[in-house]
Amino acid sequence: MNLVELPLRVFIVDDELPARNRLRDLLRDCSEQLPLDVVGEAGNGQEALDKLMKTPADVVLLDIRMPQMDGIELAQHLNRLPKSVLGMSKWPPVIIFTTAYDAYAIKAFELHAIDYLLKPIRLKRLFEALTRAREAVPLQTEVLRDLLPEPRKFLSIHERGKIHLVPIEQVLFLRAELKYVTVRTAEHEYLLEESLIALEQEFAARFVRIHRNCLVAKDAIEGFERDGEEGENSWRVKLKGLGELLAISRRQQHIVKEFG
Amino acid sequence: MYQNEAWKTVKFTAMNKARSIKQNAPPDALPNFRNLGVTLRILLISNGLALLQALLQANGWAEIPLRMMQIATLLTPILLSSLLLLWAIQPWLNRLAYWHGALAVNVLVIMLTVFTYYFGGELYRPPDRDGTYFDMVRYILLGVLVSSILLMYFRWRSQVLSRALHEARLQVLRARIRPHFLFNTINAVLSIVRTQPRQAEIALQDMSDLFRMAMADTQDLVPLRQEIELGRQYITLEQLRMGERLQVEWQVAEVGGALIPPLLLQPLLENAVYHGIEPLPQGGSIRVELWRSGDELRLKVENPCPARDTAPRPGNRMALQNIRERLALLFDVEAHYKVDSGKNFYRVEITLPYLKEKAV
Repeated sequence: MNLVELPLRVFIVDDELPARNRLRDLLRDCSEQLPLDVVGEAGNGQEALDKLMKTPADVVLLDIRMPQMDGIELAQHLNRLPKSVLGMSKWPPVIIFTTAYDAYAIKAFELHAIDYLLKPIRLKRLFEALTRAREAVPLQTEVLRDLLPEPRKFLSIHERGKIHLVPIEQVLFLRAELKYVTVRTAEHEYLLEESLIALEQEFAARFVRIHRNCLVAKDAIEGFERDGEEGENSWRVKLKGLGELLAISRRQQHIVKEFG
Repeated sequence: MYQNEAWKTVKFTAMNKARSIKQNAPPDALPNFRNLGVTLRILLISNGLALLQALLQANGWAEIPLRMMQIATLLTPILLSSLLLLWAIQPWLNRLAYWHGALAVNVLVIMLTVFTYYFGGELYRPPDRDGTYFDMVRYILLGVLVSSILLMYFRWRSQVLSRALHEARLQVLRARIRPHFLFNTINAVLSIVRTQPRQAEIALQDMSDLFRMAMADTQDLVPLRQEIELGRQYITLEQLRMGERLQVEWQVAEVGGALIPPLLLQPLLENAVYHGIEPLPQGGSIRVELWRSGDELRLKVENPCPARDTAPRPGNRMALQNIRERLALLFDVEAHYKVDSGKNFYRVEITLPYLKEKAV
C-alpha cells in the first residue's frame, strides 16, 4: 500500500475557537489540491491527548500559547506516547507549530529547522508546510526540551490505553523501581517510564534527592524523624498527607539541616 | 530573528519621527500653585534655605536650632500668606505669559514682605533697631531671592519632566502595540470574515479606533467616557477571540464630564486579560469600578489570575510602569496607584484628582 496516496490526517489544537475555525477554513481550501482529512480538534492539552489516542493523525497543527499547558510541552507528551498503543504507521505525528508572536520560540524553531506558521496564517504557507509534512522527521524530545527551558507542568502517565496528565505540583515523591519510576501523589500511585536522573535535572527546583532512588517534593516535607533501628545518625522524612516515612540515605543526611 | 529586527526598525523610525515632530519645546509655565505637591516642595525648599542660613550664622551646633527658630518666625508668615494668595490668584496667573507671571509672583512676594514688615510688630522691627530701612530692604531682597530660586527650580523641573512625559508617551505607543494582541486579533477577524462579514466589519472598525487612539499625539487629558468606550471596544475584540471565557463586570457610577489621562483604563484591562484571564482554562470575570469620591476620581480593576505557584507569563509589565510614571508626572502626589495581589487575584486601584470637562 502506498501511504502517499492516502489523505493526510490533520489534527488541530488551539485554545481559541476562531483560530480553529480559521484553520478549518484554510484546510478546506488546501484539500482541493492536497487530499486531506481534518480528523479532529482540541482546545487544550488533555483533550488533545485523549482524542489523538483514539483517532491517530499524521499532522498536528499545534498552537504554542495555551492556558495550563503550552504547545511545546504538549508536543513532548505526544512524543512520549508509546508507538505500540496507537498501532500507527507513523508516530509521533509531525507537528507544525502555530503562533502569533513568540520571539523566543521562533528563534529556536529556526535554529532547529522546525516548521512553524505565523498567525494570521496564510493559505500558501499552510499548503507548503503540509506538502512537506510527509517527508518531515519527527521532532526529538531533546530538541523539544531545548525549546522549552522550563520544566514541564505535567507528567504524562500511560495507563491501560489512557493518558493521565499528573500536575507536577501534586507529586509528593518519585522513586526509582526496577524498570519504572513510581510517581506518588496524595491519592494515587503511577508508574512512569522515565529516568530518575533526568527527572531530577528537569525538576531540580521542586524536588530534592533523599536517597539514591528517591526524590521528594520540597514543599511536601513536613518533618524528620530519627530512625531508631539504624543508629543515631539515621533519619526518615515525613511528607504531608502521607502515612509512610521515607528513609534518607547516609549521604543525604545534610538535607535534615537544610529543611528541618 | 528577521521579524524581530524588522519590528525594532519600525519602532526606531517611529521614535525618531516622533522626536523630530516634537522638536519645539513646550512653552514655559508657572507651577500649579493649587497642587499639593507644588506647595510641599515650596515649603520644603524655603525651609531648607532657612536652615542653610542658620548654618552660616551659627557659631556652634547648639546655636543652629535657635537661629533656625528665629529665621522661621520671620519667614513663615510671609511664606504662608504668599502661598495662600498664590492659590487664590492661580487662575489669573495662568492667563499671563511666563515672564509676566514670574514678575507678578515676585511683586506679590515684595508686597507681602513690606506688609508683614509694617504690621508684624516688634518681631520684624525690634525697638533697638528703629529708624533704619535696612531690615526691610534686606527682607525684600531675601524674599525675591527665595522666590526666584523656587521659580527657577520649577522651570527646570517642568522642562525635565516634559521631556520625560514625551518619552512616556512614546512608551505608551510602544506598549500599546502588543504584537500578540495585534496578530491574534487579526487572525480572529479573518476567521469570521467568511461566515459573519458584518461582525468582521465592526471588529476592524473597533481595532482601528483603538490604534488611532494609541498612535494619536495624545493630549494630557481626555473625557472619561471616551476612555470607557475605548475599553469596551477593546473587550469586544478580545471576546471575539476568547468567547465566553472573558467576562467583564462594569460598575461605572455617574461621574459627569470627568477628564483622565488617555490610555489609562485600556492598558489595565489588557493586563487583566493577558496575565489574568488568558492563562485560566475556564476564563473568568474582570471587575471594573469607577466612581467619584469628593474631589477624587477612583478607578479599580480586579481580575482573577492563576495561582502564584505557576511561573508568571512572560510579558512586560511596562504598561503599568508607564501608567505610574505618567500619573506622577501629571499629578505629582495627588494621584495614587495601589496594587493588591493575592494568591488568586490581582487588583489595581488608581486615585486621581477629579477634573471636570469645561463646558464648550
